Amino acid sequence: MESGRDDAVPAMNGTPPLLEARGISKAFLHVQALDNVDFRVDPGEVVALVGDNGAGKSTLMKTLCGAYQPDAGSIVFDGRPVTLRSQRDAIALGIAVVYQDLALVDHRDVASNVFLGREPTRGAAVDKPRMVREAREVLNNLKVTIPSVQTLVGLLSGGQRQAVAIARAVHQGGRLIFMDEPTAALGVREQAKVLRLIEDLRSRGTAVVVVSHNLQHVFSIADRIVVLRGGQNAGERIKAETTPEDIVRLIVGADRIVPAGA
Amino acid sequence: MTIPSQSQPESAEAPAQIEDLGSLTLDEISPETLRRMRLSQLLRVREIGIFVAAVAIFVLLALMRPNTFLTEFNLLNLVRSLALVGIVAVGMTYLFISAEIDLSVGSGFAFLSVVTAYLIVRQGWDWPVAAVAAVGLGALIGLFNGIVTTVFRIPSFIVTLGMLSVLRGLALMVSGGNTISGIKAPAFQTLTSGEVFGLIPAQIVWLLATMMIGGWVLAKTRFGYHVYATGDNAAAAANAGINTRRVKVACFVLTGALTGLAGVIVTGWLQNGNPITGQAFELDVIAAVVIGGTNLFGGSGSILGTFLGAAIAGEIRSGLVLLGAGIETIPIAQGAVIILAVLLDVTIRRRQGL
Repeated sequence: MESGRDDAVPAMNGTPPLLEARGISKAFLHVQALDNVDFRVDPGEVVALVGDNGAGKSTLMKTLCGAYQPDAGSIVFDGRPVTLRSQRDAIALGIAVVYQDLALVDHRDVASNVFLGREPTRGAAVDKPRMVREAREVLNNLKVTIPSVQTLVGLLSGGQRQAVAIARAVHQGGRLIFMDEPTAALGVREQAKVLRLIEDLRSRGTAVVVVSHNLQHVFSIADRIVVLRGGQNAGERIKAETTPEDIVRLIVGADRIVPAGA
Repeated sequence: MTIPSQSQPESAEAPAQIEDLGSLTLDEISPETLRRMRLSQLLRVREIGIFVAAVAIFVLLALMRPNTFLTEFNLLNLVRSLALVGIVAVGMTYLFISAEIDLSVGSGFAFLSVVTAYLIVRQGWDWPVAAVAAVGLGALIGLFNGIVTTVFRIPSFIVTLGMLSVLRGLALMVSGGNTISGIKAPAFQTLTSGEVFGLIPAQIVWLLATMMIGGWVLAKTRFGYHVYATGDNAAAAANAGINTRRVKVACFVLTGALTGLAGVIVTGWLQNGNPITGQAFELDVIAAVVIGGTNLFGGSGSILGTFLGAAIAGEIRSGLVLLGAGIETIPIAQGAVIILAVLLDVTIRRRQGL
């Protein structure tokens, strides 16, 4: 039962974790979505959160970004215990989320999307020149070139859209960015670009948690892989010390079926 | 397949630079994207297209009926009635952009006119107090529509269809079924239907004030930005921390208050409150908004477009009468124009891929 904790990978060099969640439980009516789950992210680390459908990945992500309130458990961010009552609370701490398809407003331009919900004002009006300037700046910093930040987002390619969503998370001051299936809806070339964008974030010291089904992508970018199964910790591996087969075993639970020493 | 991009082609990267994230670009523009961008510029000039149509219809009617269409009387009556539609259409534009609708504005217009007349004539209230009360009551009706729609998640189409009936019944109840007349408040009449500089009807001044303030708030303020975001993608707006329920309720309240304003103006203008006025008024309002290019599924539109849409709807109505087409053709034309305008809008959007 407690195997998840037995093989937990300790933090490297004793660095205090950026986020540490302990004993997180969450039920929806009679479904126990999360059962006593532990989760940790170190500064500047890319963690992959994997598991089968219904394993609790999305629920854990939404709990750690304030969208859901856990029934039990504690969250420590940057050394301080925190209670996330809403996504606003999480954003204020520097925890941002990039949702798969639910992030952008198609009929508005890139600048408005980067600032969505946090538009700066000058007097009573939105400060559009500042939005244009800063949106261009954050995209340039991410080495993302988009023809104009006043292009409607609905006219951009999948990769560009994902970049705009990530730019918003970065601009929110995200020190920890959750990404829900960041490569799922993209073509191969654009997938590669988004993966490089994630590497770039890491090199700038931003911690990233990637929720993904794609083990190939997980292995190409993650430092550490956390596996959930049936709402519980199923295991955790340093990327360099594991194999896709090992991770698949953790995901499907084959280690329980095959007797040790058989 | 892709046209040459503005960035360095990937093949030009030296092998040693592959690890260099500085070479990351996402700016390849496909021909498909270019085509869409051109269409997007068309979208921006949509107001120009609507403006041209409005002017063209005006010129056409002026040429066909030079002696009647251009008479001062016709122009003023056209714009006076247009103004009431336009004032409520400002609120309806907000509602459409937030992906909601209010079908109760016609009955609400009659009810709030009757309430204004009732308070002045039967209760002896001063007209300014009665006017403010009617606008406030309109806002409360909007609040009710908004809360039932967003909290209980009943489509606004159904909620406000019910209110259409309820408010008409209340208008008849308050008035006892007859027009409440005998207001006798000259200042009220002057303020709502006099001529500014002896020329511009007061209704037009009210309309322009409403449109300028409403247009500015929609285009320039955070609230306006949130209205667009809420109607375009409510989940994305909510994920970005926007309280989409509150935004929608605010749009309903605005529409209700503006319906109250229109009801007050018509009361002051005619010095009475008629419980059966404003039949199909909601269709005139909706026609103005959709002809003006506002997306009835939410996310895009403008007050300028609605102004031009109201002008076209008014021209068609006036033109049919002048051309001797008979009063019964007006609702037919009105309904057909609504369907055609939405058909055109949907076709353009599908071709844009937006």
